[in-house]
Amino acid sequence: MIWQQLQSLAGSYPLALRGLGMTVVLSLISLVLGTLLGFGLGILRTGGNRLVGSLIGAWVDLIRGTPFLVQIFLIFFILPELGIELDAFTAGIIALTNLAACFICEIVAAGIRSVPTGQVEAALASGLSRWQRMRQVVLPQAMRIVLPPLVGQYVLLIKDSSVVSAIGLTDLTRVGWLVVQRVPNGLLVFFLVGVGYFIVCYPLIMLARRLERRMGAAHGEVQL
Amino acid sequence: MTKTGMIDFRGVNKWFGELNVLKDITLSVEPREVVVVCGPSGSGKSTLIRCVNGLEAIKDGDLVVDGQRLGNPATNMTQLRTEIGFVFQSFNLYPHKTALENVTLAPIHVRKIPRTEAEKAGRELLAKVGLADKVNAYPAQLSGGQQQRVAIARCLGMRPKIMLFDEPTSALDPEMISEVLDVMVAVAEEGMTMMVVTHEMGFARKVAQRVVFMDAGAIVESGTPDEFFSHPKTDRSRAFLSKILRH
Repeated sequence: MIWQQLQSLAGSYPLALRGLGMTVVLSLISLVLGTLLGFGLGILRTGGNRLVGSLIGAWVDLIRGTPFLVQIFLIFFILPELGIELDAFTAGIIALTNLAACFICEIVAAGIRSVPTGQVEAALASGLSRWQRMRQVVLPQAMRIVLPPLVGQYVLLIKDSSVVSAIGLTDLTRVGWLVVQRVPNGLLVFFLVGVGYFIVCYPLIMLARRLERRMGAAHGEVQL
Repeated sequence: MTKTGMIDFRGVNKWFGELNVLKDITLSVEPREVVVVCGPSGSGKSTLIRCVNGLEAIKDGDLVVDGQRLGNPATNMTQLRTEIGFVFQSFNLYPHKTALENVTLAPIHVRKIPRTEAEKAGRELLAKVGLADKVNAYPAQLSGGQQQRVAIARCLGMRPKIMLFDEPTSALDPEMISEVLDVMVAVAEEGMTMMVVTHEMGFARKVAQRVVFMDAGAIVESGTPDEFFSHPKTDRSRAFLSKILRH
């Protein structure tokens, strides 16, 4: 019987690849967009304008304080009621990007706050503009604090992407649900689904660990 | 308007909350003049020079630097700061940049000097402060005295009109103090307008035209180094001098 199931599983190979591909593409797009947006929000959050800072803070708290599944449902089912039609893929990208941006915003803001004020004063005293201070002096030093948790956050977000299967996107998790209907061995099927996620995440886990070790010792420019 | 100096305090006041940290300061520093500011800790001397480049804002009174009034919306502070070098007690070198990059950062990005030219000038400045062999060293690889000399070269790279020094040797081991003071003397002798917060009397006697003594936020006494160190006029300055001279 197990032999039959394995044969049947092998037949699902193309479907599994498609699911893995969807998970990777969805995560990659959301992480790139979320990183850009998260850095922007983190810089604005610490930028000195109190109103902007607290608006961003409130949004980040709201997103961090609600389940991701609920956020996806809100975007996918409520926005069309307001006349904004979204396909599942776009809705998934928006929800994941927003989630990534909020977590990354907090990581970046913490990194920026960790740079000693003397550094900003030195940059101010040399006549560097606001953007030059950020780009040349603050961000390079903040990156030492930011990089390890940032990569760790990527791992969490890739795993969170499994929630998009709830709105019908055929990602790795949904492929598991589809296959298990034909191959009634949940343990085996979802074990393989887990292996799929692990293959994607493990290199990042290794990278985060490496970065953490490097940041402790190194001086000079941060190099990946 | 009366004759204005390079730095002009007129009736300047500043509070930190309830604390009146600068009390009715009136002080004029002429071009090419070197003024040493001393006084017990908490007397407001660091705050005084931090006001000159706008690291601290003044509450009332007038502060005119290089002909521009601070706090005036028309004054471009970023522009004015390019004319004022500031040397910090804790050096504040950029730890992620080499000595040369520390020196060339502002000339390249603020003065828009081409990189090759800025690097040539930067190497010359580092040679001038005795660090020709440390061009590619990171701050963490340098001693305190070497770091402070890089910090001075970093200011000089902007060709400022004014240089401010906030206790530049207080964080240094004794054997490194003179190498930094020697560089400061050389800068002073080239005719730089300088305000220096320090207790280094040797430096004051050598290059300062004036010593200003502050206590509890006010200027208590001011005179030539000789007058001040040999014949202090007030009880407070005598008490202060007896403390720093005892060691």
